[in-house]
Amino acid sequence: MKNLIKVMVLGVFVMALFTSCAKQPTQESNDAKAAVEAAAKEGAGVYAADEFKKLNDDLTAAMDEVNTQSKKFFKSYGTAKQMLANVKTEAEALAATIPAKKEAAKNAAVTAQQEAQSAIDEAKALLEKAPKGKGTKADIEAMKADLKGLEDSFPQIQAGIDQEDYFGAANTANTIKEKAVAISDQVKAAIEKVKGKK
Amino acid sequence: MKSASFTFILISLILVFTGCKTPLVPPEVEQAKIQENELWRAGAPVYAAEDYARYLESLGLAKDRLIKEKAKFGWFRDYEEVKANYLVVLAEGDTILKRVQEEKVSKLRDFSSQLALLQDRIEKLKKLTLTMNENDLVRRYLSRAEVASKEAQVLLRQGKYNDLAQKIKMIDLPVVQAEETLFSILARYADEAQVETWRKWAEKTVSESRKKGLTAILINKFERTLTLYKKGKPVAVYEIGLGKYGLSAKLYAGDGATPEGKYKVIRKLADSHYYKALLINYPNEEDKKLFAQAKRRGLIPPRAGIGGLIEIHGGGNDSLTNGCIGVENKVMDQIFPEVALETPVTIIGTLESADHLLASLRKSN
Repeated sequence: MKNLIKVMVLGVFVMALFTSCAKQPTQESNDAKAAVEAAAKEGAGVYAADEFKKLNDDLTAAMDEVNTQSKKFFKSYGTAKQMLANVKTEAEALAATIPAKKEAAKNAAVTAQQEAQSAIDEAKALLEKAPKGKGTKADIEAMKADLKGLEDSFPQIQAGIDQEDYFGAANTANTIKEKAVAISDQVKAAIEKVKGKK
Repeated sequence: MKSASFTFILISLILVFTGCKTPLVPPEVEQAKIQENELWRAGAPVYAAEDYARYLESLGLAKDRLIKEKAKFGWFRDYEEVKANYLVVLAEGDTILKRVQEEKVSKLRDFSSQLALLQDRIEKLKKLTLTMNENDLVRRYLSRAEVASKEAQVLLRQGKYNDLAQKIKMIDLPVVQAEETLFSILARYADEAQVETWRKWAEKTVSESRKKGLTAILINKFERTLTLYKKGKPVAVYEIGLGKYGLSAKLYAGDGATPEGKYKVIRKLADSHYYKALLINYPNEEDKKLFAQAKRRGLIPPRAGIGGLIEIHGGGNDSLTNGCIGVENKVMDQIFPEVALETPVTIIGTLESADHLLASLRKSN
């Protein structure tokens, strides 16, 4: 009888040994998911798309591990907990980088906007003093109309910035700047031509 | 009893350690992971959204099967069905990847073609604007279209086809506005009844020049030509400049339009502000009638006068006059002595029919 009890106790001990990690890491799962969602809200999907994809993949792998263990007789969530903890840490680290990236993108868009405005102003000023001689008046009027078209498109830059579409806003600004500079170059060439003749 | 306990412990240990010896997870599992990433990177969620969703569902089911097998003791694991499931998923993924790549090539071709067509329209319209002074609004629209077009080129290079579709609409709209504005300016020139009126004026002028042995001047606004007739025969054709809105019908002072009608030279100025000048009798009776009508209909500003002082003058043929007909000084030197007071000056829009006009517009592009 004593031996039987000893064997049973031994058996219970063996079972306890292998089921000691049997508690599902619910808290760790929730924390990891919350951290990934927070990174998404910050804009990780836009400003760090590749890293965010990897993060989601890591979370999926961690949850798969949880699922795997949950179906086992002898469960062990140690690995799953570590994986979830890593996801949480990575998500928090990624989220922390986003404001700086966003700010950089915003600054780039604002700078591009200012450069586009300067290019338009320069083109306008040059057109005012462009040589209105033979063969140029109609061209000058055409360029003035072109410049007005650029000014019509200008508000789209601010609209992009307001909607936090910083890459789109910068794209528009750079296009406008390029076209305004092209107009300025034409006028400068005309001015030089006239100076050369004199 | 002792041997029973020993046997029990021994069996437990055997079970524990043999449970750790597991069959290998099929390599297709890792391949599917790589493939899923490849599909995401290729843009499957965008270009094959429904197929990709089904693929993820299949992958999820295959994963569940895998997890179930992994949950068993090593002895009892059998990955054959798991492998079969993953092979199906991989085949599905390969098909989607191929479809995505084909879709991207197709979209690239399609969008490139759309952009090229739009750019072609823009270039043709821009060329047209150079043949007319009334191009402010048209060029403004075209400038807007060009900004959107450039942005679209960037999106095309980046493969952002969803954003591109929206951007192409932003190109198309101002191009359509430019075309409509242009056509509204040229609408009179496509009006057969109006063209017929101009033809009759021209024929009558040439006929009178022939019958009376006179010199006459015929000005064609669309062609931008001044033709000198002697005894009904054209002896010289010169290029001219028009008012800022020269192609339009003149209604009032300051509208920048060059008038149309049958006039005559009423004054010759050998020394004018623009070299030499021939003053014509605008406004004639017809002009006064039209002015009164337009005023009654509220088509002109309330304080606007009918205007006058329309001349054929030197100073160049590329200026944007206030409605006068401008020629080069050397041309003026040729015309001036040939023209006397009362010389007929007929100004028309065009002699060409609308079809012919369109054809010549296309050719000039």
